[in-house]
Amino acid sequence: MARYGMALDYKNCINCKACEVACKEENGVELGAEKHRIWVGGNNPEGQWPFLDIASAAFMPSQCQHCEDAPCQEVCPTNATYYDENHVVRVDSDKCILCSYCMNACPYDARYVDDRTMTVDKCTFCSDTRLARGETTTACQNTCPTKVRTFGDLDDPNSEISELLRTREHFSLKSHLGTNPKLFYLT
Amino acid sequence: MQVEVSRRKFLQGSISLSIVGASAISATNLFANNDEDSGGGNSSIPKTITTKTGTGKADEVPILCGMCVNKCAAFARVEDGIITKLNPNPYFPKSRNMLCPRGNAGIQTTYDPDRLKYPMIRIGKRGDGKYKRVSWEEAYDAIVNGTDKFKGLKQILDEEKDNRATIGYCNGEGLSKEGFEVLVGQKIGTPNYVDEVSICLETAGGGFFSTIGTYPEIDFEHADYLVIAGANRAEAIITPDTLDMFKYTKGRGLKTICIDPRFTNTAAKSDKWLPINPGTDLAFVLALTWVVFNENLQNEEFMKKHGVGYEEYKQHILSHKYTPEWAEPICGIKAKDIYTIAREFMNAENPIYYPGRRSVLSPNDYQLRRAMAIFQALSGNMDKKGGYIFGNRGLLPAEYVKQPIYENTKERFDTEGIAFPTLKSGSWIVFRNMILEGKNPYPVRAMLMRKHNPMMSVPNTAKTRAFLEKMDLNVVIDILPTDTAMLADVILPEASYLERMSPVKSYGFLEPAVVMRKAAIKPLYETKTPEVIFKELGEKLSKPLFEVSKKHDKALQELIKEKGEKVAFEEGGYNLAEPFEKPIEEKNEEIITEVFGKKAWEIIDEKGVYYPHIEEYHKQLSPNDFQYYPKSKRKYTSRGDSLKVICKNDSLASGGIDVMPTWHDEWKFSVPKGEFRLITGRHAQFTQSGTQNNMMLRDLIPTNFVWINQRVADKMGIKFADRVEIKSEVGAIRLKAYPTEKIAPNQIFLLHGFGSESKGMEFAYGNGGNDATIIKDDIEPMYGAAVMHSTNCKIRKV
Amino acid sequence: MKVGPLNIPIKEDFSLKSILDFEKTPLNIFLAVSVLTMLAMFAIGVITYLIHGHHAYGVTREHPWGLLIAVYIFFVVSSTGFCIVGSLGDVFGFKRFEMISKRAIFGSIVTIMAGFAVIAFEIGHPVRMMIYNVLTPGLTSAIWWMGTLYGLYLTFMIVEFYFLLNDDMKRAKIFGLTGLLVGLAAHSNLGGVFGFLNARTISNGVYYPTYFILTAFITGIYLSFIVMGFRYKLNFDDKVKDLLEGLAKIQGLLIAILFFFMTWKLLTDMYGGMPNRADVAHHMLHTAPFWAEVIFAMLIPFLVILKDFGKSPKLMFFASLIGMVGIFFMRYNLVHDTQVKPLQMMKLTEYQLPPEWVEYFPSATEIMISLGGLGLCILLYYVGTKAFNLDATH
Ligand code: SF4
Ligand code: SF4
Ligand code: SF4
Repeated sequence: MARYGMALDYKNCINCKACEVACKEENGVELGAEKHRIWVGGNNPEGQWPFLDIASAAFMPSQCQHCEDAPCQEVCPTNATYYDENHVVRVDSDKCILCSYCMNACPYDARYVDDRTMTVDKCTFCSDTRLARGETTTACQNTCPTKVRTFGDLDDPNSEISELLRTREHFSLKSHLGTNPKLFYLT
Repeated sequence: MQVEVSRRKFLQGSISLSIVGASAISATNLFANNDEDSGGGNSSIPKTITTKTGTGKADEVPILCGMCVNKCAAFARVEDGIITKLNPNPYFPKSRNMLCPRGNAGIQTTYDPDRLKYPMIRIGKRGDGKYKRVSWEEAYDAIVNGTDKFKGLKQILDEEKDNRATIGYCNGEGLSKEGFEVLVGQKIGTPNYVDEVSICLETAGGGFFSTIGTYPEIDFEHADYLVIAGANRAEAIITPDTLDMFKYTKGRGLKTICIDPRFTNTAAKSDKWLPINPGTDLAFVLALTWVVFNENLQNEEFMKKHGVGYEEYKQHILSHKYTPEWAEPICGIKAKDIYTIAREFMNAENPIYYPGRRSVLSPNDYQLRRAMAIFQALSGNMDKKGGYIFGNRGLLPAEYVKQPIYENTKERFDTEGIAFPTLKSGSWIVFRNMILEGKNPYPVRAMLMRKHNPMMSVPNTAKTRAFLEKMDLNVVIDILPTDTAMLADVILPEASYLERMSPVKSYGFLEPAVVMRKAAIKPLYETKTPEVIFKELGEKLSKPLFEVSKKHDKALQELIKEKGEKVAFEEGGYNLAEPFEKPIEEKNEEIITEVFGKKAWEIIDEKGVYYPHIEEYHKQLSPNDFQYYPKSKRKYTSRGDSLKVICKNDSLASGGIDVMPTWHDEWKFSVPKGEFRLITGRHAQFTQSGTQNNMMLRDLIPTNFVWINQRVADKMGIKFADRVEIKSEVGAIRLKAYPTEKIAPNQIFLLHGFGSESKGMEFAYGNGGNDATIIKDDIEPMYGAAVMHSTNCKIRKV
Repeated sequence: MKVGPLNIPIKEDFSLKSILDFEKTPLNIFLAVSVLTMLAMFAIGVITYLIHGHHAYGVTREHPWGLLIAVYIFFVVSSTGFCIVGSLGDVFGFKRFEMISKRAIFGSIVTIMAGFAVIAFEIGHPVRMMIYNVLTPGLTSAIWWMGTLYGLYLTFMIVEFYFLLNDDMKRAKIFGLTGLLVGLAAHSNLGGVFGFLNARTISNGVYYPTYFILTAFITGIYLSFIVMGFRYKLNFDDKVKDLLEGLAKIQGLLIAILFFFMTWKLLTDMYGGMPNRADVAHHMLHTAPFWAEVIFAMLIPFLVILKDFGKSPKLMFFASLIGMVGIFFMRYNLVHDTQVKPLQMMKLTEYQLPPEWVEYFPSATEIMISLGGLGLCILLYYVGTKAFNLDATH
């Protein structure tokens, strides 16, 4: 019984996308650019050569926020989307009817359709793969060259993530929507 | 509805269209994915492209990544004989518990449906892709004796009177590289070897080595100021540099100045980005040096102690008036910025001018590296914590090979236009071009090529094709039907890196370690590991080639007369298979046990990594951080008083090379109106042509686009993804356009490694443009290494 | 009148032959051929979908709802509209409107059935839906409420229609009222499906749940003109003229209210300063479907009504046909505009343009299934006219 979250030292991110590939290989995610549980966003730098704005070219690694108040869960007609015992937002593919409501409701574009099962899929915090085997890191965290991610139990005051959140400033994405994300961006 | 997207089904979409009127035996049905006869070993091939890892029993096999040059350590998770995941190995200090995207996608390389699966010999015309599947015996026999379509080595050598130099060979980077060099270079005995060095970073290595005695490592952890010029560590990932550097950039301790014509991801992570004119870095460094001397900012004590020809260098710089104002129009960097950087650099505690591992971009690259090394030395931040690290040497001893001497073998000849030719690996371009131009003093008639794709890696593909077509015999050992393989007469399929144990390898520097790759699965199909191929090929060649020598080699004839044939054969080293007789598994165990003891073998066998005291030193500090060596055990300083900084190198004069870095105006950057300078480089999700058929990476970089300045593109009416033709004086390619402000108006950039013409690779075939087709085959004067950034191109919408 | 099973009064001459027996005017033949074509398309579309799944659709990760959702909404709004019009007479007792009640209630049944037929091929697992809607109901989900209530509503409508056929006006009234209330609840929940999306500021809020009821009424009136037009072949007697004039007047008022609603919606969207809402509103204003909605669904019919306060039923028949085309765009726009603003505004790979607007165009399969829904609807209605007496009998 834990409350899992993830802190991202996003300034470390070099947009290498190792996390994206590791996630696909670990979790057997379907091939195809649209089929991703995790992504890294970047922008074209503002300005004209040679006066380009470096600050505008930051990289933002992201994935399902595992919202405490998850709109995707609220809108699911069959409760296929649920909070598991570790507060991880999961999809039960046996119950998912593919009404796609959650895909529209998620403010983060974290969900996609797995064409093999014709159900909605998303980041599981590796719950049914790595965590199920007793591992303590997610595939995306573990593989990252610059160690952007720290995954852990927010309820455990001794965890690394709790320590990070106590000691470093951080923000969440679209926090004004009241979703209470459990992904924290360290500044 | 449980629909499994199988590899086969996935492929059908793209494959079914391409099989047109397949004759009885053609490339299409030989190279295509016949997974029903996956045959061979006991291993199975996964049905789906990505396989979700299970929660049951699994083997964790230590491997070393083979997707690029870094050799990161990893564990392959093997479930039911299938590799389901590659995980970083936390024991290897060099790769620091990480795997990059390519490393993660390595599974797709092993399970690539287009892999070479069985030996093949050519039955059609060269290049038309008609091959016949044969047994290994038949393939070896074809190499020795030829077929009705091509000659074998025996006949060629006989005709050349046992001049072994008639065989050329090339080899790609990797853990089995040395074995091939032993077989062909030392045992078969030809000096005519070319490899990736002369098309990669030869001058970087050479320049640093001849100036400060090594190509250094960087201690990013303690550095506080970084000039990274012409290196793109965010995208061209080098371990451990990439892993260390970006933890400190962006106002977190390491002020970073990125000098690059292009706005790279490294630029995005820097504090300042200064786009420099391609090929003018030397002027930039000279101007920095001038500021230092002019304002007396250097660590005079350090230079007095270690510098060789230091005073002369100072005079040289000052008297040439390499001022920032002089450099500004050459480099396109403001004088003001040059002053600031020089001052900040020298005032910093631990400044680093990044040595910049990358290929040779301009003809002055050797001098640039010298100037960089000297500039770094001026700060005194060398051979110490936070600076350039020289560190430890490797932990393993060299191996001895019994090398036969062939009396009739001639020396290598590829020296035209080169001041100091490298005897070992020569110059790809000069070697190839001299043969094409008939300047070779004796015929070169065969090419043995392993894990190397010169058709896509050596500038000017048209010439490479002509060169290969000239050969009587081309043999390719590889894992994919590359463009080069399509010109082969005999193709030997190699096991991919996940299917083989490789010779142990040691890394030195700050935190030395020995690493070992084990086989995660048995070789798929009928492929064989390189060492087995070397052994078998050696066995097959030994006797027939010995016969040739016996016929032509006077010295051997003498020896036989003296000692008898059997002894001569054995003692003379004519048993070519001899270095490979012992299986690699035994050999590794023997070496490790011999050097470090039995316990070390157990550790490396389980963890893939060993270094003395690993059990005591290695600790997990946090979920993301490991200690490999305690700081007190890291050798930050190793040269001490013996460190020399060769500012003036008189020996260079004999080759007509400047003894001190000097600017020549012919290196000024200029592009004719209406043309563009072509620059190349890397993305993090792609390693040269070796990854072009990887399905996973194709999701991230579907093809190579040509970067063109947004405003220029607007004027030319070129929009995103429009097809354009790029034409240089040596060739033309077509690919999609990527208008962006990240590049200068007079330059274009494209990613290397796309544009394969081999129909055997369904994903790579015809995808994007091959830069080697359009890059001119210019060389730099020191070693004859290929210069990559000297080509101007025209571009038009098609 | 013969009596079918369960006491359902069925027309005396109802048979396969009677169905095929229609006046062979060019228009009728054209209609028949069209309907058959549409049904064939439905079959082809469904087969394509069963083979290729959602690949056969133009929907994407960023635009998961496509044409079929719009068409579903189109049909269920039509159904609710019919239900409201039908209720005017037999539930609320407006005598003037009683003569259309039976026909409208029947219309509400066939339209919602067509809607269900279409949505069954948009939802990935319709059977699973029925099971888990009951086993693990998602009570916070507007789709759950909408789906469940529409299910109930259909039942009530059928029961009401049954009593209407049997002239049991008392029971018809009870079921009619319940059905209407359930239908309105279902329908506003459909609006709620969009209203609850707080990530989609253009749709978020109370607007759609109420607007849906309003536009349903409007749709119902257009459809009434259409079915009455066909029933009387545009030769309206005085009683019918009276009915239609009444409906037209109501329609004038409703459209006026809709104009008012929309104007304020757009004004607050554009100038309300809510992030991601103003730009979507501006974007909408620059698309053709938006103007198709305004001109066809509102402006043209409104002008026709204003001309003589609804006294030209023939013209209104044609205006209503145009109106329904506009209503289709209204539904399509609602679905598309909700999703048109990407939630992820960064580039995810180097070689792409920065996300701007989400593109969507329905695939051939989606179009075929949608037209099939229309064909099904017309066929069911036609069979109904042959089987039942849909005219008022008292
Ligand atoms: S692996 Fe790490 S550095 Fe690479 S893209 Fe992902 S988060 Fe960024
Ligand atoms: S990020 Fe999206 S998918 Fe994840 S919990 Fe939040 S709303 Fe649901
Ligand atoms: S936590 Fe696991 S499932 Fe989620 S993005 Fe990372 S690797 Fe993928």
